[in-house]
Amino acid sequence: MFFKNYRTVIFVGAVIVAALILLSYSLKYDSGTSFVKKLVLEAASPVQKFFNTSIGGVENAWMRYIHLVGLEEDNRNLKNKIAGLQAELILYKEGYQEAQRLKKLLSLQDDHQSNFMSARVIGKEQAALSKTLWINKGSAHGLTPGMPVLVPPGLIGRLTDVSWHSSKVLLLIDENSNVDVLIQRTRVQGIVRGAGSRGCVVRYISKIQDVKEGDVVVTSGISNIFPKGLLIGKVSHVDRMDVGLFLQIRVAPFADFATLEEVLVLVDQQQKVSAEKKTVK
Amino acid sequence: MIFYLLLPFVTIFLVVLQTTLADVFFSGWLTLELSLVVVIYAGFRLDLMKGIILAFMMGFVFDCVSGATLGLFTLIYLLVFLLSFFVSLRMVSEKLYLIALFSLICSLLESLTLVLLYHFAFEFDMLSNMLLVFVPQALLIGVLSVGFFYAMRKVEGLIYGKQMQPPQRSGTGGISAEA
Repeated sequence: MFFKNYRTVIFVGAVIVAALILLSYSLKYDSGTSFVKKLVLEAASPVQKFFNTSIGGVENAWMRYIHLVGLEEDNRNLKNKIAGLQAELILYKEGYQEAQRLKKLLSLQDDHQSNFMSARVIGKEQAALSKTLWINKGSAHGLTPGMPVLVPPGLIGRLTDVSWHSSKVLLLIDENSNVDVLIQRTRVQGIVRGAGSRGCVVRYISKIQDVKEGDVVVTSGISNIFPKGLLIGKVSHVDRMDVGLFLQIRVAPFADFATLEEVLVLVDQQQKVSAEKKTVK
Repeated sequence: MIFYLLLPFVTIFLVVLQTTLADVFFSGWLTLELSLVVVIYAGFRLDLMKGIILAFMMGFVFDCVSGATLGLFTLIYLLVFLLSFFVSLRMVSEKLYLIALFSLICSLLESLTLVLLYHFAFEFDMLSNMLLVFVPQALLIGVLSVGFFYAMRKVEGLIYGKQMQPPQRSGTGGISAEA
Protein backbone atom coordinates (compact mmCIF):
# COMPACT_ATOMS: atom_id res chain seq x y z
CA MET A 1 0.00 0.00 0.00
CA PHE A 2 2.79 2.35 0.96
CA PHE A 3 4.73 1.59 -2.18
CA LYS A 4 1.64 2.02 -4.35
CA ASN A 5 0.91 5.47 -2.91
CA TYR A 6 4.47 6.71 -3.11
CA ARG A 7 5.51 4.83 -6.24
CA THR A 8 6.33 7.97 -8.22
CA VAL A 9 8.21 9.57 -5.36
CA ILE A 10 10.19 6.41 -4.78
CA PHE A 11 10.95 6.19 -8.48
CA VAL A 12 12.14 9.79 -8.60
CA GLY A 13 14.25 9.26 -5.52
CA ALA A 14 15.72 6.12 -7.02
CA VAL A 15 16.61 7.87 -10.24
CA ILE A 16 18.32 10.71 -8.39
CA VAL A 17 20.22 8.26 -6.22
CA ALA A 18 21.24 6.36 -9.34
CA ALA A 19 22.51 9.57 -10.89
CA LEU A 20 24.44 10.38 -7.73
CA ILE A 21 25.97 6.93 -7.62
CA LEU A 22 26.88 7.19 -11.29
CA LEU A 23 28.53 10.54 -10.72
CA SER A 24 30.35 9.39 -7.61
CA TYR A 25 31.55 6.25 -9.33
CA SER A 26 32.75 8.20 -12.34
CA LEU A 27 34.54 10.75 -10.19
CA LYS A 28 36.20 8.10 -8.08
CA TYR A 29 37.19 5.52 -10.66
CA ASP A 30 37.05 7.40 -13.93
CA SER A 31 36.53 4.06 -15.64
CA GLY A 32 36.89 5.50 -19.12
CA THR A 33 34.37 4.39 -21.63
CA SER A 34 31.68 2.20 -20.17
CA PHE A 35 29.56 -0.15 -22.20
CA VAL A 36 26.50 2.11 -22.04
CA LYS A 37 28.54 5.12 -23.07
CA LYS A 38 29.94 3.14 -25.99
CA LEU A 39 26.40 2.23 -26.95
CA VAL A 40 25.30 5.87 -26.87
CA LEU A 41 28.32 7.00 -28.85
CA GLU A 42 27.75 4.23 -31.37
CA ALA A 43 24.16 5.37 -31.80
CA ALA A 44 25.17 9.04 -31.97
CA SER A 45 27.86 8.44 -34.56
CA PRO A 46 25.62 8.21 -37.66
CA VAL A 47 23.63 11.23 -36.52
CA GLN A 48 26.85 13.16 -36.05
CA LYS A 49 28.01 12.07 -39.50
CA PHE A 50 24.72 13.17 -40.99
CA PHE A 51 24.96 16.62 -39.41
CA ASN A 52 28.59 16.99 -40.30
CA THR A 53 27.89 16.09 -43.91
CA SER A 54 24.93 18.46 -44.10
CA ILE A 55 26.75 21.33 -42.47
CA GLY A 56 29.86 20.55 -44.50
CA GLY A 57 27.73 20.76 -47.63
CA VAL A 58 26.24 24.08 -46.60
CA GLU A 59 29.66 25.39 -45.64
CA ASN A 60 31.11 24.24 -48.95
CA ALA A 61 28.27 25.84 -50.87
CA TRP A 62 28.75 29.05 -48.93
CA MET A 63 32.51 29.04 -49.38
CA ARG A 64 32.02 28.27 -53.05
CA TYR A 65 29.67 31.21 -53.30
CA ILE A 66 32.20 33.46 -51.59
CA HIS A 67 34.83 32.01 -53.86
CA LEU A 68 32.60 32.69 -56.86
CA VAL A 69 32.19 36.29 -55.82
CA GLY A 70 35.95 36.59 -55.89
CA LEU A 71 36.08 34.64 -59.12
CA GLU A 72 33.88 37.14 -60.87
CA GLU A 73 36.47 39.83 -60.39
CA ASP A 74 39.27 37.42 -61.24
CA ASN A 75 37.39 36.41 -64.34
CA ARG A 76 36.99 40.03 -65.39
CA ASN A 77 40.67 40.71 -64.81
CA LEU A 78 41.67 37.58 -66.68
CA LYS A 79 39.40 38.47 -69.60
CA ASN A 80 41.02 41.89 -69.77
CA LYS A 81 44.40 40.26 -69.61
CA ILE A 82 43.45 37.79 -72.33
CA ALA A 83 42.23 40.63 -74.53
CA GLY A 84 45.53 42.44 -73.97
CA LEU A 85 47.52 39.30 -74.69
CA GLN A 86 45.49 38.59 -77.82
CA ALA A 87 46.19 42.08 -79.08
CA GLU A 88 49.86 41.54 -78.31
CA LEU A 89 49.78 38.16 -80.02
CA ILE A 90 48.22 39.68 -83.12
CA LEU A 91 51.01 42.26 -83.13
CA TYR A 92 53.61 39.52 -82.82
CA LYS A 93 51.96 37.50 -85.59
CA GLU A 94 51.88 40.57 -87.75
CA GLY A 95 55.53 41.18 -86.97
CA TYR A 96 56.39 37.56 -87.74
CA GLN A 97 54.56 37.63 -91.06
CA GLU A 98 56.19 40.91 -91.94
CA ALA A 99 59.56 39.43 -91.08
CA GLN A 100 58.81 36.48 -93.34
CA ARG A 101 57.89 38.76 -96.21
CA LEU A 102 60.94 40.93 -95.68
CA LYS A 103 63.06 37.82 -95.57
CA LYS A 104 61.76 36.86 -98.99
CA LEU A 105 62.43 40.36 -100.25
CA LEU A 106 65.96 40.15 -98.92
CA SER A 107 66.49 36.81 -100.59
CA LEU A 108 65.37 38.38 -103.87
CA GLN A 109 67.82 41.20 -103.27
CA ASP A 110 70.61 38.67 -102.68
CA ASP A 111 69.68 36.71 -105.81
CA HIS A 112 69.91 39.70 -108.10
CA GLN A 113 72.92 41.39 -106.53
CA SER A 114 71.39 44.75 -107.35
CA ASN A 115 70.62 47.87 -105.42
CA PHE A 116 67.05 47.67 -104.14
CA MET A 117 64.96 49.98 -102.08
CA SER A 118 62.20 48.51 -100.01
CA ALA A 119 58.86 50.29 -99.78
CA ARG A 120 55.56 49.70 -98.11
CA VAL A 121 52.32 49.52 -100.04
CA ILE A 122 50.06 52.32 -98.82
CA GLY A 123 47.25 52.05 -101.32
CA LYS A 124 45.82 49.90 -104.07
CA GLU A 125 43.74 50.79 -107.03
CA GLN A 126 42.22 47.71 -108.56
CA ALA A 127 39.58 49.31 -110.75
CA ALA A 128 38.56 47.85 -114.08
CA LEU A 129 40.72 50.24 -116.06
CA SER A 130 43.57 50.71 -113.71
CA LYS A 131 45.69 48.29 -111.71
CA THR A 132 48.12 50.32 -109.67
CA LEU A 133 49.72 50.50 -106.24
CA TRP A 134 50.83 53.38 -104.09
CA ILE A 135 54.07 52.97 -102.20
CA ASN A 136 55.52 55.13 -99.45
CA LYS A 137 58.81 56.06 -101.15
CA GLY A 138 59.34 58.77 -103.72
CA SER A 139 61.91 61.02 -105.37
CA ALA A 140 63.19 62.08 -101.97
CA HIS A 141 64.42 58.50 -101.62
CA GLY A 142 66.00 58.41 -105.02
CA LEU A 143 63.15 56.89 -106.99
CA THR A 144 62.41 57.88 -110.55
CA PRO A 145 59.67 56.89 -113.00
CA GLY A 146 60.27 53.65 -114.88
CA MET A 147 62.08 51.83 -112.09
CA PRO A 148 61.14 48.12 -111.92
CA VAL A 149 59.20 46.99 -108.89
CA LEU A 150 59.60 43.45 -107.63
CA VAL A 151 58.35 41.05 -105.03
CA PRO A 152 59.43 37.45 -104.64
CA PRO A 153 59.74 35.71 -106.95
CA GLY A 154 59.79 38.33 -109.67
CA LEU A 155 58.59 41.46 -111.41
CA ILE A 156 55.23 43.06 -110.61
CA GLY A 157 55.43 46.37 -112.47
CA ARG A 158 57.20 49.70 -112.74
CA LEU A 159 57.02 53.17 -111.30
CA THR A 160 54.99 55.62 -113.32
CA ASP A 161 54.28 58.68 -111.20
CA VAL A 162 56.79 59.63 -108.56
CA SER A 163 56.17 62.37 -106.05
CA TRP A 164 58.49 63.35 -103.21
CA HIS A 165 57.42 60.78 -100.70
CA SER A 166 55.17 58.38 -102.59
CA SER A 167 55.03 56.72 -105.96
CA LYS A 168 52.57 54.97 -108.19
CA VAL A 169 53.35 51.49 -109.48
CA LEU A 170 51.82 50.34 -112.73
CA LEU A 171 51.22 46.63 -112.29
CA LEU A 172 51.92 44.04 -114.94
CA ILE A 173 48.24 43.21 -115.12
CA ASP A 174 47.28 46.78 -115.99
CA GLU A 175 46.19 46.96 -119.63
CA ASN A 176 48.56 49.86 -120.23
CA SER A 177 51.54 47.79 -119.15
CA ASN A 178 53.86 46.38 -121.81
CA VAL A 179 57.03 44.50 -121.00
CA ASP A 180 59.52 42.87 -123.34
CA VAL A 181 59.73 39.21 -122.46
CA LEU A 182 60.97 35.91 -123.68
CA ILE A 183 59.85 32.35 -123.19
CA GLN A 184 62.57 30.90 -121.01
CA ARG A 185 62.60 27.41 -122.59
CA THR A 186 62.66 28.45 -126.25
CA ARG A 187 64.03 32.01 -125.95
CA VAL A 188 61.21 33.29 -128.15
CA GLN A 189 60.60 36.99 -127.63
CA GLY A 190 57.30 38.76 -127.21
CA ILE A 191 55.58 41.51 -125.32
CA VAL A 192 53.56 40.91 -122.17
CA ARG A 193 50.52 43.08 -121.83
CA GLY A 194 48.23 43.37 -118.85
CA ALA A 195 44.82 41.75 -119.10
CA GLY A 196 43.28 42.79 -115.80
CA SER A 197 41.76 40.01 -113.78
CA ARG A 198 42.77 37.45 -116.43
CA GLY A 199 46.44 38.13 -115.68
CA CYS A 200 48.58 38.92 -118.74
CA VAL A 201 48.81 37.99 -122.36
CA VAL A 202 51.91 37.61 -124.50
CA ARG A 203 51.67 39.23 -127.89
CA TYR A 204 53.60 39.12 -131.09
CA ILE A 205 54.77 35.53 -130.96
CA SER A 206 54.33 33.80 -134.24
CA LYS A 207 52.15 30.72 -134.58
CA ILE A 208 55.10 28.71 -135.73
CA GLN A 209 56.93 29.19 -132.46
CA ASP A 210 57.08 26.47 -129.86
CA VAL A 211 55.21 27.69 -126.80
CA LYS A 212 53.49 25.35 -124.36
CA GLU A 213 51.45 25.70 -121.25
CA GLY A 214 53.72 25.83 -118.21
CA ASP A 215 56.54 27.65 -119.98
CA VAL A 216 58.16 30.28 -117.81
CA VAL A 217 58.09 33.85 -119.02
CA VAL A 218 60.95 36.19 -118.03
CA THR A 219 62.00 39.71 -118.93
CA SER A 220 64.16 39.93 -122.01
CA GLY A 221 66.15 43.01 -120.97
CA ILE A 222 65.90 44.48 -124.45
CA SER A 223 64.33 47.81 -123.57
CA ASN A 224 66.85 48.47 -120.77
CA ILE A 225 63.98 49.33 -118.45
CA PHE A 226 63.93 45.90 -116.81
CA PRO A 227 66.98 43.76 -116.21
CA LYS A 228 67.10 40.50 -118.06
CA GLY A 229 65.73 37.34 -116.48
CA LEU A 230 63.18 38.67 -113.99
CA LEU A 231 60.39 36.16 -113.52
CA ILE A 232 56.97 37.25 -114.70
CA GLY A 233 54.75 34.20 -114.82
CA LYS A 234 53.85 30.93 -116.42
CA VAL A 235 52.02 30.30 -119.65
CA SER A 236 48.57 29.18 -118.67
CA HIS A 237 46.91 28.85 -122.05
CA VAL A 238 48.05 28.82 -125.68
CA ASP A 239 45.52 29.33 -128.45
CA ARG A 240 46.64 28.47 -132.01
CA MET A 241 43.16 28.41 -133.59
CA ASP A 242 42.76 32.13 -133.93
CA VAL A 243 42.75 33.59 -137.42
CA GLY A 244 45.60 36.05 -136.77
CA LEU A 245 49.32 35.62 -137.36
CA PHE A 246 50.23 35.38 -133.71
CA LEU A 247 49.56 33.00 -130.89
CA GLN A 248 47.11 33.96 -128.20
CA ILE A 249 49.08 33.21 -125.03
CA ARG A 250 47.80 33.79 -121.58
CA VAL A 251 50.24 34.17 -118.71
CA ALA A 252 49.50 33.70 -115.02
CA PRO A 253 51.78 36.04 -113.05
CA PHE A 254 53.85 34.55 -110.26
CA ALA A 255 53.01 37.37 -107.85
CA ASP A 256 49.71 37.54 -106.02
CA PHE A 257 48.72 41.15 -106.58
CA ALA A 258 45.94 41.03 -104.01
CA THR A 259 48.27 40.43 -101.07
CA LEU A 260 51.10 42.85 -101.71
CA GLU A 261 52.29 44.74 -98.65
CA GLU A 262 55.97 45.39 -99.20
CA VAL A 263 57.82 45.73 -102.47
CA LEU A 264 61.34 46.27 -103.69
CA VAL A 265 62.24 48.96 -106.19
CA LEU A 266 65.26 48.22 -108.32
CA VAL A 267 67.12 51.53 -108.21
CA ASP A 268 70.44 50.89 -109.88
CA GLN A 269 68.90 49.61 -113.13
CA GLN A 270 67.50 53.06 -113.87
CA GLN A 271 70.75 54.68 -112.83
CA LYS A 272 72.55 52.36 -115.26
CA VAL A 273 70.18 53.34 -118.04
CA SER A 274 70.60 57.04 -117.32
CA ALA A 275 74.34 56.66 -117.28
CA GLU A 276 74.25 54.82 -120.60
CA LYS A 277 72.04 57.55 -122.12
CA LYS A 278 74.44 60.24 -120.94
CA THR A 279 77.39 58.29 -122.43
CA VAL A 280 75.61 58.05 -125.79
CA LYS A 281 74.94 61.81 -125.78
CA MET B 1 4.76 3.70 -25.04
CA ILE B 2 5.76 5.49 -28.21
CA PHE B 3 7.21 8.19 -25.99
CA TYR B 4 9.59 5.75 -24.31
CA LEU B 5 10.51 4.10 -27.61
CA LEU B 6 11.28 7.35 -29.38
CA LEU B 7 12.91 9.05 -26.43
CA PRO B 8 16.46 7.63 -26.84
CA PHE B 9 16.57 8.48 -30.55
CA VAL B 10 15.14 11.97 -30.12
CA THR B 11 17.52 12.59 -27.26
CA ILE B 12 20.57 11.51 -29.24
CA PHE B 13 19.40 13.53 -32.24
CA LEU B 14 18.88 16.65 -30.13
CA VAL B 15 22.15 16.41 -28.24
CA VAL B 16 24.18 15.82 -31.40
CA LEU B 17 22.34 18.64 -33.14
CA GLN B 18 23.08 21.10 -30.34
CA THR B 19 26.74 20.08 -30.25
CA THR B 20 27.07 20.53 -34.00
CA LEU B 21 25.25 23.86 -34.07
CA ALA B 22 27.27 25.18 -31.14
CA ASP B 23 30.42 24.21 -33.00
CA VAL B 24 29.25 25.96 -36.15
CA PHE B 25 27.95 29.16 -34.55
CA PHE B 26 30.23 29.63 -31.56
CA SER B 27 33.26 27.47 -32.39
CA GLY B 28 33.11 25.83 -28.95
CA TRP B 29 32.87 29.10 -27.05
CA LEU B 30 29.28 28.54 -25.91
CA THR B 31 27.13 25.45 -25.69
CA LEU B 32 23.80 25.75 -27.38
CA GLU B 33 22.04 23.81 -24.65
CA LEU B 34 18.73 22.94 -26.26
CA SER B 35 18.60 19.87 -24.03
CA LEU B 36 18.33 22.07 -20.94
CA VAL B 37 15.46 24.00 -22.52
CA VAL B 38 13.73 20.71 -23.33
CA VAL B 39 14.16 19.57 -19.72
CA ILE B 40 12.67 22.84 -18.46
CA TYR B 41 9.81 22.45 -20.93
CA ALA B 42 9.31 18.88 -19.69
CA GLY B 43 9.13 20.24 -16.14
CA PHE B 44 6.27 22.50 -17.18
CA ARG B 45 4.43 20.14 -19.48
CA LEU B 46 5.07 16.47 -18.71
CA ASP B 47 4.06 14.35 -15.76
CA LEU B 48 6.65 13.44 -13.18
CA MET B 49 7.35 9.92 -14.42
CA LYS B 50 7.85 10.79 -18.06
CA GLY B 51 9.71 13.96 -17.23
CA ILE B 52 12.17 12.31 -14.88
CA ILE B 53 12.98 9.65 -17.45
CA LEU B 54 13.43 12.29 -20.15
CA ALA B 55 15.69 14.36 -17.90
CA PHE B 56 17.74 11.31 -16.97
CA MET B 57 18.07 10.24 -20.59
CA MET B 58 18.88 13.73 -21.81
CA GLY B 59 21.52 14.24 -19.14
CA PHE B 60 23.08 10.84 -19.65
CA VAL B 61 23.33 11.23 -23.42
CA PHE B 62 24.73 14.72 -23.00
CA ASP B 63 27.33 13.33 -20.60
CA CYS B 64 28.29 10.66 -23.11
CA VAL B 65 28.45 12.93 -26.14
CA SER B 66 30.06 15.95 -24.48
CA GLY B 67 32.69 13.85 -22.71
CA ALA B 68 31.81 15.25 -19.27
CA THR B 69 32.06 13.14 -16.15
CA LEU B 70 29.38 10.49 -16.44
CA GLY B 71 26.42 11.40 -14.24
CA LEU B 72 27.23 15.11 -13.98
CA PHE B 73 24.66 16.48 -16.39
CA THR B 74 22.39 13.58 -15.57
CA LEU B 75 22.15 14.82 -12.00
CA ILE B 76 21.95 18.48 -13.00
CA TYR B 77 19.15 17.84 -15.50
CA LEU B 78 17.23 15.79 -12.94
CA LEU B 79 17.48 18.65 -10.46
CA VAL B 80 16.51 21.23 -13.09
CA PHE B 81 13.54 19.09 -14.07
CA LEU B 82 12.37 18.77 -10.49
CA LEU B 83 12.81 22.49 -9.94
CA SER B 84 10.83 23.26 -13.11
CA PHE B 85 8.18 20.78 -12.13
CA PHE B 86 7.66 22.36 -8.74
CA VAL B 87 7.84 25.88 -10.13
CA SER B 88 5.22 24.95 -12.73
CA LEU B 89 2.79 24.26 -9.89
CA ARG B 90 2.96 27.95 -9.04
CA MET B 91 3.64 29.46 -12.49
CA VAL B 92 2.21 28.75 -15.94
CA SER B 93 4.14 28.94 -19.11
CA GLU B 94 2.09 31.59 -20.94
CA LYS B 95 4.18 34.44 -19.65
CA LEU B 96 7.20 34.00 -21.83
CA TYR B 97 9.35 36.55 -20.04
CA LEU B 98 8.91 34.51 -16.87
CA ILE B 99 9.97 31.42 -18.76
CA ALA B 100 13.01 33.31 -20.07
CA LEU B 101 13.86 34.44 -16.56
CA PHE B 102 13.39 30.98 -15.12
CA SER B 103 15.50 29.38 -17.87
CA LEU B 104 18.21 31.95 -17.24
CA ILE B 105 18.20 31.11 -13.54
CA CYS B 106 18.31 27.39 -14.29
CA SER B 107 21.26 27.91 -16.61
CA LEU B 108 23.09 29.96 -14.00
CA LEU B 109 22.37 27.27 -11.38
CA GLU B 110 23.72 24.68 -13.74
CA SER B 111 26.87 26.75 -14.24
CA LEU B 112 27.20 27.26 -10.51
CA THR B 113 26.91 23.52 -9.94
CA LEU B 114 29.60 22.91 -12.51
CA VAL B 115 31.91 25.50 -10.95
CA LEU B 116 31.43 24.04 -7.51
CA LEU B 117 31.82 20.47 -8.59
CA TYR B 118 34.96 21.17 -10.59
CA HIS B 119 36.32 23.19 -7.69
CA PHE B 120 35.78 20.47 -5.11
CA ALA B 121 36.24 17.37 -7.21
CA PHE B 122 39.10 18.42 -9.50
CA GLU B 123 40.36 21.54 -7.72
CA PHE B 124 39.88 23.35 -10.99
CA ASP B 125 38.83 27.00 -10.87
CA MET B 126 36.14 27.74 -13.46
CA LEU B 127 35.03 30.99 -11.89
CA SER B 128 36.95 33.02 -14.45
CA ASN B 129 34.61 31.65 -17.11
CA MET B 130 31.59 33.05 -15.37
CA LEU B 131 31.38 36.36 -17.20
CA LEU B 132 32.77 35.23 -20.50
CA VAL B 133 30.95 31.93 -20.89
CA PHE B 134 28.28 31.20 -18.33
CA VAL B 135 26.46 34.54 -18.36
CA PRO B 136 26.23 34.75 -22.19
CA GLN B 137 25.18 31.12 -22.22
CA ALA B 138 22.46 31.78 -19.65
CA LEU B 139 21.20 34.70 -21.72
CA LEU B 140 21.24 32.53 -24.81
CA ILE B 141 19.24 29.85 -23.05
CA GLY B 142 16.75 32.47 -21.87
CA VAL B 143 16.21 33.54 -25.48
CA LEU B 144 16.11 29.97 -26.77
CA SER B 145 13.56 28.95 -24.17
CA VAL B 146 11.19 31.71 -25.25
CA GLY B 147 11.42 30.54 -28.85
CA PHE B 148 11.08 26.90 -27.88
CA PHE B 149 8.08 27.42 -25.61
CA TYR B 150 6.38 29.59 -28.21
CA ALA B 151 7.01 27.06 -30.96
CA MET B 152 5.81 24.17 -28.81
CA ARG B 153 2.67 26.09 -27.88
CA LYS B 154 1.91 26.42 -31.60
CA VAL B 155 2.63 22.73 -32.15
CA GLU B 156 0.36 21.77 -29.28
CA GLY B 157 -2.33 23.97 -30.76
CA LEU B 158 -1.96 22.23 -34.09
CA ILE B 159 -1.98 18.73 -32.62
CA TYR B 160 -4.56 19.00 -29.85
CA GLY B 161 -6.60 21.90 -31.19
CA LYS B 162 -5.93 23.77 -27.96
CA GLN B 163 -3.02 24.12 -25.62
CA MET B 164 -2.25 21.05 -23.56
CA GLN B 165 -2.19 21.94 -19.87
CA PRO B 166 -2.12 19.39 -17.14
CA PRO B 167 -5.05 20.03 -14.78
CA GLN B 168 -2.92 20.08 -11.66
CA ARG B 169 -0.85 22.96 -13.07
CA SER B 170 -3.29 25.77 -13.75
CA GLY B 171 -1.03 28.37 -12.19
CA THR B 172 -3.89 29.78 -10.11
CA GLY B 173 -1.99 29.39 -6.89
CA GLY B 174 0.55 32.08 -7.64
CA ILE B 175 1.72 34.20 -10.52
CA SER B 176 -0.93 35.21 -13.07
CA ALA B 177 -1.42 32.91 -16.00
CA GLU B 178 -2.74 35.58 -18.34
CA ALA B 179 -0.40 37.12 -20.83
